[in-house]
Amino acid sequence: MLAEFGVRLPEETEIRVWDSTAEVRYLVLAMRPTGTERLGETELAALVTRDSMIGTGLPRAPATEAVGR
Amino acid sequence: MSYRSHSDLGGRTGIGSVIAGAPEREGEVFHSPWEARALALTLAMGATGEWNIDMSRSARETLPDYPSLSYYQIWIAALERLLAERGLVMPDELAAGHALHASRPVARVLRAAEVGTVLRRGSPTQRTRDDAPRFAPGDVVRTRADPVDHHTRLPGYARGKVGRVACCHGAHVFADGSARGLTEPHWLYTVEFEAEELWGADVPGPGRQVVSIDAWEPYLELA
Repeated sequence: MLAEFGVRLPEETEIRVWDSTAEVRYLVLAMRPTGTERLGETELAALVTRDSMIGTGLPRAPATEAVGR
Repeated sequence: MSYRSHSDLGGRTGIGSVIAGAPEREGEVFHSPWEARALALTLAMGATGEWNIDMSRSARETLPDYPSLSYYQIWIAALERLLAERGLVMPDELAAGHALHASRPVARVLRAAEVGTVLRRGSPTQRTRDDAPRFAPGDVVRTRADPVDHHTRLPGYARGKVGRVACCHGAHVFADGSARGLTEPHWLYTVEFEAEELWGADVPGPGRQVVSIDAWEPYLELA
């Protein structure tokens, strides 16, 4: 199903699904992309997408100039 | 067994891809303006207290033409049904598209100026119970296997399955009862299931896959 969303993960990735069957709601804390160690909160927030907060996508990759040299 | 939900599709195959066409663009909330009105009408009527969220979910999920309707078409069809069942709208008014008769007053009216406050406040479902929870984190439990003849939030794919209690969220409004006007709250747990328990041995990849559901105590027995 993730492939339908264009997401391909390594086979060894552990996948956890939360089905919100009651009124408790969940959101996904987007996984921090590599190469973002020097980014601040605003720059990191710009990488977060809707899909990365519902578990059907990964955050955007940082722009190349933002990657630490 | 007369109660039939058309929305319990989790784990079922043969019904096509999840995404029909292109996914909505980031930030696209409504496909067209009428969908926003459908949302507003439904929230405004929900605020009257004529029904609760479980009754409205039940009204949606049992629409006979559910599979052929879009998300907000389902909302509007269920709203018409709830209104008609309570005599708040008449068949000739639905056909005409506007009011033809004086309607009876409702207990509460959501005013435009209060919408922000009311929506931010939400509708908390936490309640209290005098007894203690039967299950503790780590307990191995089996979900109810028998289908029930009323609204439920136990997904079909998780019926009669063995899982592990992850945590207890306290006592909450019990959807199965609330949809039928019953008010007894029940302990609510997050229960984790290994993918193999739900879908069989044919789970791809060496990575572990776990599905969690929130389950009220009446759904569970010690395994």
